[in-house]
Amino acid sequence: MKPIRSSALQLGLVSCHDCHLLSRRPKTLGHGAAHCPRCGGELHQRKSNSIARTWALVLAAMVFYIPANVLPMTITSAVGTVSADTIMSGVIYFMQHGSWEIALVIFTASVFVPFLKFIILIYLLLSVQFKWVKQPKNLTRLYRFTEAVGRWSMLDIYVVTILVALVKLGFLANIEAGPAALYFALVVVTTMIAAESFDPRLIWDVVEKKHE
Amino acid sequence: MSEENSEMKHAEQAPEALVQTKRSFSIIWVVPIIALLIGGWLTFKAMSEKGPVITITFETAEGLEAGKTMIKFKDVEVGKVTDIALNDDRSSVVVSAEMSTDSKPYLTDKTQFWVVRATVAAGKVSGLGTLLSGAYIGVNPSTEGEKTEHFTGLEKPPLVTAGMPGRHFILQSKELGSLDRGSPVYYRGIKVGQAVDYDFNHDRDGVDIKIFIEAPFHEKVLENSRFWNASGIDMTMDATGIKLDTQSLVSIMLGGMAFDLRQHDPPGKQAEKDHHFRLYPDQAGSKEETYDVKRYFVMYFDQSVRGLSPGAPVEIKGIPVGEVVSVKLQFDQNKLDFQIPVLIVLEPERLDALVTESGEAVEGVAKNEELERDTHHSYTLEVRSKKLIEKGFRAQLKTGNLLTGQLYIDLDFYPDAPPAKLEKVDGYTVFPTISAPLEQIVQRVDNIIKKVEQVPFDRIGQELQVAVTELAETLQELKGISGKVNDESIPKVNASLDQFQETMKGIESTLGPDSALSYNTRQVMGELALAIRSVKSLLEYLERDPQALILGKEGDKK
Repeated sequence: MKPIRSSALQLGLVSCHDCHLLSRRPKTLGHGAAHCPRCGGELHQRKSNSIARTWALVLAAMVFYIPANVLPMTITSAVGTVSADTIMSGVIYFMQHGSWEIALVIFTASVFVPFLKFIILIYLLLSVQFKWVKQPKNLTRLYRFTEAVGRWSMLDIYVVTILVALVKLGFLANIEAGPAALYFALVVVTTMIAAESFDPRLIWDVVEKKHE
Repeated sequence: MSEENSEMKHAEQAPEALVQTKRSFSIIWVVPIIALLIGGWLTFKAMSEKGPVITITFETAEGLEAGKTMIKFKDVEVGKVTDIALNDDRSSVVVSAEMSTDSKPYLTDKTQFWVVRATVAAGKVSGLGTLLSGAYIGVNPSTEGEKTEHFTGLEKPPLVTAGMPGRHFILQSKELGSLDRGSPVYYRGIKVGQAVDYDFNHDRDGVDIKIFIEAPFHEKVLENSRFWNASGIDMTMDATGIKLDTQSLVSIMLGGMAFDLRQHDPPGKQAEKDHHFRLYPDQAGSKEETYDVKRYFVMYFDQSVRGLSPGAPVEIKGIPVGEVVSVKLQFDQNKLDFQIPVLIVLEPERLDALVTESGEAVEGVAKNEELERDTHHSYTLEVRSKKLIEKGFRAQLKTGNLLTGQLYIDLDFYPDAPPAKLEKVDGYTVFPTISAPLEQIVQRVDNIIKKVEQVPFDRIGQELQVAVTELAETLQELKGISGKVNDESIPKVNASLDQFQETMKGIESTLGPDSALSYNTRQVMGELALAIRSVKSLLEYLERDPQALILGKEGDKK
């Protein structure tokens, strides 16, 4: 087994979140909190309460995911005909009309990616909690992917926002954002925060503890 | 130091206190709780707002679209089509729709659904808005009737929707004619309503037309109002010329109805909803009296009834009191004779109307007819009828039109008529008849014509031809004779004439004004005139004084 380099945690060091200065962790904290001697930012060994936070946010996002898909995303009125489209009905509409590329983009950005994020985050959380870490590098890759792809889920919200702003032709054509837009935005935001609140170092902590 | 160290060692030997991290409730869990609350609230809202789902059957789904087509009442959305499918045998379309929650009490079997599309028909253009927005389903809600969730959509929109102020009435007609749903109803030329529906009435063997009169004109429909069919053009031609009458151009195309009171009728009570009226075929018909009580009689005529057809009037002194119902031919096997029973109907109410006008005699009949309904008074009826018959009340066939030979039945008194009795045959009272004098004349003229027909015009013609030929021959001979006369006789005639002239001259000299005979004659005539004059004066004198004949002139005595 390859010897593991000692980590900051083992050496009793802590890195500042903001200025990344390495300082020694005080032995006892009492009721106070450790602060960076250079920039004054609060110091944490690991992100505080990371797993619980991530869990809470992931669950909230999953709850928001349901109305985001069931309720109409856009309410289009064209010459008196009002039609409300959900995300999936929009995808189906584009597919039926031959624009399967657009359908694919919408499906990936609005349906598939958020769902994938749930799966990845839950998998990461479970791995850390139950110490199932076999390939910590892969888990970290998954985490990076989640962080990187998160903002692209807002694509759908951007499209709706632009359409609502552009198509204001009164009686002839009018597009309004449906209630699903709000829930979808909440899904995206909560999953982003959830990914942010997850501390990937916990993965390595698990690996180190196993080797002790 | 060693003491201190040893103390330290002792202290280090003491077990280390356990550090337990306080597992406090993290504020972050509020986020999923809020999410759950929102989710729960959304679910509850969706569940509570989910209205009843109904199905409507239409013949075609033309213009309907699942998820888009609305159900509207007074242009307010009350539901939405969720699904469109064919029914099992593919004969019609089943439209599923989700209604709003507050529409529940209106989902009864009286509620009507129909598709509103753009329609352009005579007199009406509607639903043009649907050309752009697409069709929608109209609804006419009704709280009456039984609750149901399965409806059959109307193919045509109903003409009157709920909540429209006004009143429905029912018109009874023999036939529908040119009327249709939407046919207008006029009151003095104003369109006040329309035909809503029509149906065949099996009990009455006629057509019931349901009409709707809009407020406030429904108050003009009184119980004794008369409705008539005002369809098309009413053309009358009389001595004053041709008269065209129509309610409106629309009624020419679509048909129409009109109603009014008859001029002399006092206004009655306002008619209730669904009051039944008779629909007269024309305005003139609506002005006639109607009689509900009808009495049937049988009459036997011992003469030809040619020209007497069902519908021919029965009159008393020129006033119609009934009409002929049927004319039949019966063969009497015992007598080997034909009989013609003529069934007539008398409308006693007409006679009633005549009571005041025509006096006691008719009143008798009228009362009889009325009393006939009441067996209690049958004795009086018989007595009265007997009296009338004794008085000579008879029926007689008369010619109404000499050109067409149309007959009518006239009831009148014939005191010289042979006595007759009232009988009953097959339940009908037999009304005694007498034969028409005209009929007899006609018979005689007939006989004359028959005799004339017997004259052998053929033979006469032939003989005439022979005679003419002979005449021609005679004339030829005459011509020959006259030729002879010319040649031989004329010189002699001339000589005779000369002699004649001379003779005349002799006579003239004897009788001429200067002749002696003439002079004497004049003289005599003068004297004769004088003599006559004196005789005249003598006679005048004698007339004054006749005693002068005996006593002589008075002047002489003196």
